[in-house]
Amino acid sequence: MEATRQIYWNIGHGVVIPMYILAFAAFGVMVRGFWQRLPIWRQGKALDRFDRFDERVKRMIGEVFSQSKIYRVTEGGVFHSIFFWSFLILFAGTMLVMIQADFFTPLLQINLLSGEFYKGFSLALDIAGIVAIVMLAGLFIRRFIIQPEGLEIVKDDYIVLQLLFAILITGFLIEGARMAATELQQNPDLARFSPGGLLAGQLFTTMTTGTLLVSHKILWWLHFALVLGFFCAIPYTKLRHIFTTSANAFLAPFEPKGFIATINLEDDSVEQFGAATMSDLSWKDIFDADACTSCKRCQDRCPAYATDKPLSPMKIEKQIGELAEGNPKGSLSDTVSQDALWSCTTCRACQDVCPANIEHVNKILEMRRNLTLMEGAFPGDEVRTAVSNIEVNGNPFGLTYAARGDWAEGLQITIMEQDADVDILYFVGCYASFDKRNQAIAKNFITICNSAGVKVGILGKEEKCCGEPVRKLGNEYLYQMTANENIELIKAYNVKKIVTTCPHCFNTLARDYKDLGLDVSVEHYSTYINTLLTTGRLRLAPEPFNFTYHDSCYLGRYMDIIEPPRAILSQAGGTITEMDKNGYDSFCCSAGGGRIIAEEKLGSKISEVRIKMAVDTGAPLLVSNCPFCLTMFEDGIKTGGAEGQLQVRDLAEIVAERISA
Amino acid sequence: MKLLVCIKQVPDLESRFKADAAGVWYNETDLAFRMNEYDEYAVEQAVQLREKLGEGSELTVLSIGPDRVVEAIKKSLAMGCDNAAHIQDAAAFAKDPWQIASIIATYAQDKNFDIIFTGMQSQDRGSAQVGVTVAELLGFACTTTIVGFDYDNGIITAKRELEGGIKGIVKLKTPALVTCQLGLNIPRYPTLPNIMKAKKKEIAAIPVADLLAEEPLATTTSFHPPAKKGGGIVLEGDVGDLVEKVMAILKDKTAVLR
Amino acid sequence: MKTLLIGEYREGKLLDSTYELLGFAGQLGAETAMLLVGSETQLPSYGGTLYLADAASCGEYNPDLHKKLILDAVQKENPDYIVFLHSSYGWDLAPRVAAALRVAQLSEVIALADGGFEVGCCNAKMRRTVKPAAGRAVVTIQAGAFPALQPGGIPLLQKLSAAGTAALEFIGYEAAEKKDVDLGKAEIIVSAGRGIGKKDNVSMIQALAKALGGELGASRPVVDAGWVEHSHQVGTTGQTVSPKLYVACGISGAIQHLAGMKKADFIIAINKDKDAPIGEIADVLVVADLMQFVPALTAKLAKQ
Repeated sequence: MEATRQIYWNIGHGVVIPMYILAFAAFGVMVRGFWQRLPIWRQGKALDRFDRFDERVKRMIGEVFSQSKIYRVTEGGVFHSIFFWSFLILFAGTMLVMIQADFFTPLLQINLLSGEFYKGFSLALDIAGIVAIVMLAGLFIRRFIIQPEGLEIVKDDYIVLQLLFAILITGFLIEGARMAATELQQNPDLARFSPGGLLAGQLFTTMTTGTLLVSHKILWWLHFALVLGFFCAIPYTKLRHIFTTSANAFLAPFEPKGFIATINLEDDSVEQFGAATMSDLSWKDIFDADACTSCKRCQDRCPAYATDKPLSPMKIEKQIGELAEGNPKGSLSDTVSQDALWSCTTCRACQDVCPANIEHVNKILEMRRNLTLMEGAFPGDEVRTAVSNIEVNGNPFGLTYAARGDWAEGLQITIMEQDADVDILYFVGCYASFDKRNQAIAKNFITICNSAGVKVGILGKEEKCCGEPVRKLGNEYLYQMTANENIELIKAYNVKKIVTTCPHCFNTLARDYKDLGLDVSVEHYSTYINTLLTTGRLRLAPEPFNFTYHDSCYLGRYMDIIEPPRAILSQAGGTITEMDKNGYDSFCCSAGGGRIIAEEKLGSKISEVRIKMAVDTGAPLLVSNCPFCLTMFEDGIKTGGAEGQLQVRDLAEIVAERISA
Repeated sequence: MKLLVCIKQVPDLESRFKADAAGVWYNETDLAFRMNEYDEYAVEQAVQLREKLGEGSELTVLSIGPDRVVEAIKKSLAMGCDNAAHIQDAAAFAKDPWQIASIIATYAQDKNFDIIFTGMQSQDRGSAQVGVTVAELLGFACTTTIVGFDYDNGIITAKRELEGGIKGIVKLKTPALVTCQLGLNIPRYPTLPNIMKAKKKEIAAIPVADLLAEEPLATTTSFHPPAKKGGGIVLEGDVGDLVEKVMAILKDKTAVLR
Repeated sequence: MKTLLIGEYREGKLLDSTYELLGFAGQLGAETAMLLVGSETQLPSYGGTLYLADAASCGEYNPDLHKKLILDAVQKENPDYIVFLHSSYGWDLAPRVAAALRVAQLSEVIALADGGFEVGCCNAKMRRTVKPAAGRAVVTIQAGAFPALQPGGIPLLQKLSAAGTAALEFIGYEAAEKKDVDLGKAEIIVSAGRGIGKKDNVSMIQALAKALGGELGASRPVVDAGWVEHSHQVGTTGQTVSPKLYVACGISGAIQHLAGMKKADFIIAINKDKDAPIGEIADVLVVADLMQFVPALTAKLAKQ
């Protein structure tokens, strides 16, 4: 007997027309649902996210089908991915059945679903169905029984999980009923290729044929109705993420990470800076709210949330979504709250881990821009003072700008004003210039360069704050003022290469300054030193030591520099014990996003939490690569009571101590 | 109503001061300049009054000095002044308060200002004379060191700060001049739209020679750092060591620790 | 050489600072006459000529009338210097007199100098030597810069009076906010300055004050910012104090503050800036970060 099955068995081909009509109707309901969302998204400003179309499509297909962003977080993610693939197989199988029944059979008179292929097909679909049920059960247990902290249970969750369960179960029941009436009696060999159906079929073996046929028919229509319900429910429930989250993989930006649109300060016609209400955000920002699945991964990673500050990136997305729908003229900063906005360290952990490509950070920055540029608001008086200090003296401390280069006195170093013919321009930054503890970074970096025979120049008192903290607090005006002064100088000295010891300066000079017309190669000292080592210009005499390493947000997550600092430390003789949160998953030190010039008044101290993680590794030494991090950790060790347990040192200090004579 | 606020641009006080070649004032090299802090309060108060008066009122900001003072003028315009007068004088530092006051008075003479605001003093010279002298030269009512200001129908009610935390309440009829003390208000941070608008506001440039007819009444013969008080110890270094040293000093030199 | 000294009278009382004018005249080696708008019941202990106008009729603060009285006395005495205290009364009145006489005013003199007067500038970081172009000048002297001198005796009264309508009307005094502390009597004061950075850090300074068994003081900016009550303010607009130990935390040393605390027996200043003017009068200047040093010192003291 041939291995195949009769499609529309017991239902009859007469069903085709009403079935398609109903299917199209359901499809129509779904399209209408999304169509109704259009005006909500359209409240936002124009933004071109349809350029480089082919690349976008490729990226979307890659992300969606690989599920790579989903299973990156094992908890929940693995279940979702496997469920997705199983469901995809079921969907594809159903499509194949539909094509076979309604196109191949009537038009071409060929039967694909026969013989060995049918056996494989049947087995694959049954296994997929079983796996899907198991995964769904896993997701069910996670959400309703384990209830991970922060995971909300909403009406949608009941609807979606029940619907999916019902579809899968009814699918097996129809198969079982069909098999009980057919294969189980006529072709038991073939039945083995439908293990799910075989099992479900046992339920029907005691039924009379008449009851069986009626049951099958009812089940078939029930299953079909559930599927229609599924389609109808997509735009109105969390199921919408099937399309919106996938679409976001298409819509995600191509700009380098951390890119913020540079405001054209010459354009007189602009009257609103930053986002005050919905119409100041982009349509993509509003669309993001629909792409959010409330998976709370962003919230789990958020250092502000973890330290009891009133910020949850997920909540912001939700609030924007609600405001866009309910009160689009309402104030964004009042809805989200200023405290929440100022709490962000722009560490990018939320955006990095988001499986839906939501852009949390730039929304927060746009809302901050409104507060700063339109309302003259500050997170606190100390920030007002620091900002005024940057305006006058080019540093947040208010120290005289003339003293900026004083740390270099007596060192073998060139001041650009006197001699601009150098190998590299070292852009020192405010902390390494003025702060006693951080001056050690600058001095040790010079020692390293001297030993490698690199001629280093500094701008000295001509250098100004790179503008990063104020830009991240929303003060684009002051940022551009200081940035343009730096850029003019750097251009005038015809600089070929810049090295920074601060990841914040690094990002700003390398990426943000490009928008203002600076096109010079900029490198962070971690990769620069690594190159000096690999090319043999710098030689180390390794001394063994145990350490743990902190990836600064702006080096790791923003710039993908994860391995080079570790390679250097390993060459220096170090044995690393990683913290759980490392690399792309690193936990912020608290100083990003301009928080370096603000006091941490809400919740507990982020730096203390990070210091605890470092202490927990058992390593006596924490190595950092950023003056902001170093400052925060020196504080965190003292205030967090880790003195004597942990020491924090900069990469440059470790390397300089081990230079081979 | 016509309002005038007089501002000065001064070096940031964190700067390191060195005498100029003539040895009578500071050398401007390596100095960062900003608006005199007292004047920021004066500008804020003037802008608040201007906003309260609304249409038909006009607020002018005036500053005397070299080109760099335009920065301070622009900040005042961004804070809300309507227009500006820059009295161009590269040698303003060499003029005594009497000359500066007469320049302002000559400028203001035919302009029918109702109220003039100034800072209580400048942070660099600190003579606390210019405002009062301008009022004297113009025959304006005047009070100084105000920490409270209210205007209603031709009458200013001001609160003067006196010694020991006492305040004196004074009423003045316009035309009047008030000099503003720190803490009078909270000077605003200019918003970007206002900074942009300020760029288009008129800054009248007036050569100082057009307004100056007076000779100085006082001359500076020397500018120098104060003689250091002998005996003071400076302690620097590691915090732990510093604590030990201070504890030892408290034991030896004071009756606090026994 | 002759000086006309303008005394001060407030809320029915002669102010002690008036005697500092005599200290100044004494250093100058000049003859003196004094003018006071006050009351016959409150005469200074001074044997020279006293031009006295009645505050009841001329007001305690009425710059227009007081100017007239002074000009009247100037005509009679023909002094070389008309001397005021650099106070809310002096700096308000002196420029009016100087302008009327068209003579120089030398503000906030802190010492006599070779061929002129020494005045502070750049927030006490620097000094200037100034001298009047012509002979006569108006001078205001810094509070506390010259010793108070009480020569004794009964003044030779010369009564003055003036009348006229004034553009300015003095309504009255508003008392200082109620004091929860009397710093004037405190033996140990630990003061917070702008350098503490934020309101939250006041508690850190307060903890040090408690550990030392003293009171909390504050500089003007800290009080203006609302971080500390006005009753804790040390300086010319706050209280003048003379404790056994004064610890200045993050106070750079604006002249107004220095004037209020320089009589302390022993001064320890903690500041990040080695060149802060407070260093000029401090017995010990600790160059350190307050956030680190103060808690460390407090902890150490607590262990004692």
